[in-house]
Amino acid sequence: MEPLERLLNLVGLLLEAPTPLTFEQIRETLEAYQGDNLDSVKRKFERDKDMLRAYGVPLEMIGTDVWDVEQGYTIRKERYYLPDIAFTPEEITALYLAAQSGSGTTDALSGVRKLIYGVDGGVLTGSAGGPLAMESDTDQDRLMAAASAASERHAVRFGYRTAQGATSDRTVDAFGVVFRSGRWYLVGHDREREAIRAFRLSRVTTDLSDAGPGAEPPAGFAAIEHVESAPWDAAGLPVAHVAFTAEAAVLAEGNISGTTRDHVRDDGWVVLAVPTADPATLGPLILQYGPEAEVLDPPALRDDVIARLEAVAGG
Amino acid sequence: MADRPRASVKVEERLARMLAVVPYLIQHPGTTLDDASRLFAIPVAQLRRDLEQLFLAGLPPYGPGDLIDVDIDEDGGIWIAMADHFARPLRLTRQEALAVYVRATELAATPGIPGAPALTAALAKLRDALGPDSLGEATGIAGAEPGTPPPSLDAVRAASASHDRLRITYVAQSTGERTERVVEPEAVFASAGHWYAAVWDVEVDDERLLRIDRIASVEPTGERFSPRGLRGAGRPLYTPSDRDVDVRVRLCPAARWIAEYYLARDVTEHPDGSLEVTLPTAATRWIARLLLRLGPDAEVLDPVSVREEIVAEAQAALARYGPRRA
Repeated sequence: MEPLERLLNLVGLLLEAPTPLTFEQIRETLEAYQGDNLDSVKRKFERDKDMLRAYGVPLEMIGTDVWDVEQGYTIRKERYYLPDIAFTPEEITALYLAAQSGSGTTDALSGVRKLIYGVDGGVLTGSAGGPLAMESDTDQDRLMAAASAASERHAVRFGYRTAQGATSDRTVDAFGVVFRSGRWYLVGHDREREAIRAFRLSRVTTDLSDAGPGAEPPAGFAAIEHVESAPWDAAGLPVAHVAFTAEAAVLAEGNISGTTRDHVRDDGWVVLAVPTADPATLGPLILQYGPEAEVLDPPALRDDVIARLEAVAGG
Repeated sequence: MADRPRASVKVEERLARMLAVVPYLIQHPGTTLDDASRLFAIPVAQLRRDLEQLFLAGLPPYGPGDLIDVDIDEDGGIWIAMADHFARPLRLTRQEALAVYVRATELAATPGIPGAPALTAALAKLRDALGPDSLGEATGIAGAEPGTPPPSLDAVRAASASHDRLRITYVAQSTGERTERVVEPEAVFASAGHWYAAVWDVEVDDERLLRIDRIASVEPTGERFSPRGLRGAGRPLYTPSDRDVDVRVRLCPAARWIAEYYLARDVTEHPDGSLEVTLPTAATRWIARLLLRLGPDAEVLDPVSVREEIVAEAQAALARYGPRRA
C-alpha cells in the first residue's frame, strides 16, 4: 500500500469516527498497520501521526472515556475543517494573485490553495493576466519570522545596522510589521532603549531569534504610526512650487511622491507642486536636478537652495 | 510496499496537495485535469497518479461501496464521489495564514494594483474567519496608503499582457535625456517601491530595464510581438555595461543610504562610520548631481574631473536664480 493512501485513510477514519480510537482499534480497521511486527507497525504509525501534525492536521490523543483509563486518537471536525469564508470571486482571485506575487513563498501558495475550494469558478479566468510580480529588499524568512513574532506577541533578538552604519544587538517586543513605500519594517519596544522603534528589515544583519513571550503594546497602539513616512509623503502639507525642464519634471514626478503638475510655462518648463514638511529636506532633493530645476516659492526654500549652490560654486 | 526513507518528503507534499485539491474538485465537479493542474501547480501526470491513490482510499469497512469514487471522463473532467469527509479543506497552518496575510498586505499597499480594494476586503474576512487560532494578532500586520501609481503603468501592463509593441518616450535618469523608443514590454514588476518593465528595445536590438514612472508617453504601434522570455522580478535593477565609468566616492554616515539605494561595488568601511564605494555609471553628470545634493556629506575620490563637474553644475543652477548671483 502506498503511504499516501494510508495517510488519507487514517485522516478519513479519525475524522469520521464518532469516538476517539485506540491504536488497537485503528489497527483492526486499517490494513496498513496490520503487520506481525508490532514494534515496526507502531513506529510506522508514530511517523504518520507526526507527519500529519507537522502538516497541521489536529490529530489529538485524549481519554476514550470520562475516567481517562484508555487513550485514543481523534481529529475533531471543528478543529480540522476550514471555517466558511464568504469570499467574492474578485477577492479570492486577488488573494490567489497576491500569493503568487512574491518570491520564495510556498506557504502563501499552499495556504491560498486551501481558500479557493468554495469559490464560484473564475479564479483562473480572473488571474489570466498572470501574477503581479513583486520583489522586495527584505529576506523572506526574516519577514515571516518578524510577522510571526508580532502575531504571537513574542520578543525577538537580532543584529541591526542603522542608516548611519552603527551596528548593535537589539531585543524587541514585536508589536507589528508594516509595509511602506516598498519596504518592510518591524515595529516594537526596544528593551535597551526603552522606546518604541521601527526597524527596516533590510537592515537586520542576522536571523531573528525568538526571545520568548513579549510585552503587550500600549492601548490604542497602531504600528503604522511608528514608521516614518518620507517628509513629502504626509497629506495636507504646504506645497513648494518648483519649475523643471520637461525631462526633469518626469524624473521628479517619479522620485518625489505626492507631486502634482501645476502648469506648463510658455518656455516649456513644467511647474510642479511639491508637498513639503521641511524645506531643509526638500532643498537637497531639488539640487539633484542641477540647472534643470528652479525653486519659485516659498522664498525660504529658494534662499536655502541658493545658499547650498553658492557653497559649492564658490559664489 | 516498503517505505523508502526518501519517500517521506514527497508523500507529505502529495498529501498536502490532495487535502487542498480534493475539496476543490468536489465543489467544482467536472473541473478538467488541465485546469486543476494549473490552479494547483501540479503536473497533469502527477495529479492523475495522486487521484488514483485517492481511488483506493475511503472509509471503513472499505468494501467496494465505501471507497472514494474518482472518475476522469474522456474530456479530462474530474468527478469525485463518496468523499464528503474531504469536501472541505484543512485549516490553514499558522505559517500559511501569516504568509497569505503578509503577501496580500504587501500587494494592497503597492500603488497601481487593480485588485487592491478586493484584497483589503479579503484581508478583513481572513482576520475575522481565521481568528487568533490561525492568525494570531494580525492587526499589527499593516500596509501604508499606497500612493499614486505612475501614469503609464496601466498602459504598459496591458501591453505586456497582450504582447503589444509600444512607442514610448523615456527620460533616462543618468543622462536626463528624453528618447523615443519602440519597445516590447515583456515583464512588469514592482520592486522596493517602484514599478519596472523589462523590455526588448527594438532599435538598439537589446534588452532594457525601464522604470515606468520615467515613461513620459505611451502609444500603441498596432504591432504584436512574441515574448523572448525576458526575466522580470528578481533580476538585478542595474545592468552593468562595458561603457560604464567607475566613480569612487567617500560617503559620510549621513550619506550611507546611497550604498543601499544604488548599486555600489567594492565597499570599504572606515572607523568613523564613513564608507568608500564605487558607483558604476553610464554618465558622470548624474553622479555629479547626486553629489551636489549630498553636499558636504560626500566627496569624489576618483576621477577628480567629477569634482569640476559638480562645481559647473552648481554654477549653471545658480544662474537660474538671476544675474546678481552669476
